[in-house]
Amino acid sequence: MSTALSLRQTQALTVRSTKALLRQPALVAPSIFFPIFFAFLGASSFGKTTNIPGFPQVESFLQFSLASTVVQGVLFGSVTGAAALATDIENGFFDRLLLSPSTRSGILIGRLAGSAIFGAAQSLIFILLLLPFNAPVKSGIVGIVALSISGGIVALAIGAIMSSVAIRTGSAEAVQGAFPLLFVLLFFSSAFFPRELMTGAYKRIADINPISHLVEGMRTLVLDGFDVQALAKTLFIPMAICVVAVALALTQLRRRINAQ
Amino acid sequence: MTEPLAMAPIVAENLVRHFGDVEAVNGINLQVNAGEIFGFLGPNGAGKSTVVRMLTTLLRPTSGKAFVAGFDVAKHPNEVRQRIGVALQDAAIDPLMTGVELLRLQAVLYSIPKSKMKSRADELLERVGLTAAADRRVGTYSGGMRRRLDLALSLIHQPTVLFLDEPTTGLDPMSRVSLWEEVRRLNNEGTTVMLTTQYLEEADQLADRIAIIDKGVIVREGKPQELKASVGFPTLVVNVSRDQHELAKSILMGFGELRPTAEGTLGVGLRGGAEAVTDVVRKLDESSIRVQHLELNEPSLDDVFAEATGHRLEGAQQ
Repeated sequence: MSTALSLRQTQALTVRSTKALLRQPALVAPSIFFPIFFAFLGASSFGKTTNIPGFPQVESFLQFSLASTVVQGVLFGSVTGAAALATDIENGFFDRLLLSPSTRSGILIGRLAGSAIFGAAQSLIFILLLLPFNAPVKSGIVGIVALSISGGIVALAIGAIMSSVAIRTGSAEAVQGAFPLLFVLLFFSSAFFPRELMTGAYKRIADINPISHLVEGMRTLVLDGFDVQALAKTLFIPMAICVVAVALALTQLRRRINAQ
Repeated sequence: MTEPLAMAPIVAENLVRHFGDVEAVNGINLQVNAGEIFGFLGPNGAGKSTVVRMLTTLLRPTSGKAFVAGFDVAKHPNEVRQRIGVALQDAAIDPLMTGVELLRLQAVLYSIPKSKMKSRADELLERVGLTAAADRRVGTYSGGMRRRLDLALSLIHQPTVLFLDEPTTGLDPMSRVSLWEEVRRLNNEGTTVMLTTQYLEEADQLADRIAIIDKGVIVREGKPQELKASVGFPTLVVNVSRDQHELAKSILMGFGELRPTAEGTLGVGLRGGAEAVTDVVRKLDESSIRVQHLELNEPSLDDVFAEATGHRLEGAQQ
């Protein structure tokens, strides 16, 4: 099959998964609303912590929270895409796709690309919503674009991890059930509090948690302005996770097809 | 480019499929000739869908071989996929998309050029009577509309072989008849059709030839008329009160071989045909057996099934 044809098929499946997401406002709205709600809740509860010695120089707690809000929101959204894949398996639509002579990987990538587009859009929405509340992005347009792209890649990576669960189990409930594990990973990172102020086991886990480094890269772009190392962290950490996660999901897909 | 083998559109040779310890399909041999409507009749769990899933490349056979449209399904699945249309059980359709969006997606997946996509989608929507509903989300369609859209989706690339897995299950009688008409029309245009069904009437009305499957094995195969003729005598079904069952049974045995019937009734293959009914009634009456209900049925595919397996087609519906 030619590459052009394969790309056309993947693009068509991407459009389909994006449309499907947008047509489910009841699923999409919480992934926008709750991260914003938690950001404001955090700002009103922990606003004074910005005065603790060692806390980064910020204009507001919301500015500090922006990076974690992006990652948190994208986690919510990407699970929706994986759950939709599981629903495709449950209701037989996945079989219809397998019955066509299209590439098997295109079926998965099309679904994940839809999640990535949604993740990038979510990131941009969070930035724009928090901007009027004293949460500027110091690195300007470049930083905003980098944060949005990073949000898209994180969505792709997390979507791929959750899609592995979807393909393995064929159950939307199993995907939803696995979601809290991602949140545990988020809470054991520096997403909600600076690593410099942590102590003990919590700090040791946060040190090795890739989400800490991802969030900190994003945070540097928000708080300090443009920085090449921060940009690299913002883009390459999710890319690395993405490569491993997509490979895992494709392996699960191949296994499922061969086991049938 | 692999060339197709010159053979019948569907050929299965000793096809076997196990799921763990369960033998779902146990050595199926069949051949469906070009231009035929082939009915695969059997109760739930008989192995019909498993056979279809193997023939349509969705499931790998445990052993045996299958060729569809001249290609080995295991060795050249993509060649098979390009030539077959499949409407699976329960109309596998994304409810969030509109009818026309799904047809266009399907067209891309089957590499139909952009220039032909719209006309092909419009043509199929008109064919299945969904033009007016084309821009509505599938979630708002009735069961019959979903089935018709499912059929349209399976026809987007003009397949030479069409698989319909229980295409009318759950449909109202009107929708069922309308789908039958469409299947006949497709067949008249030259499409070879293999359909699985648990409806006796559907197999009887549509199929040129039938295979009856039970517990993963084909128990009878042939033209519906020939199969029914092979059963011979019509079945006399008699309802009597439970305490008179044994006595009635012994009397009926004098008129022919007992046949399996629904629980609570007795059935006999009436050797003397319709003319013997009065004799049966007289004999039962002489023994003071009160007949609650009596009917004489011409041989049906259910009789063929019963004769082959010793039990009725469970859940079979006329």
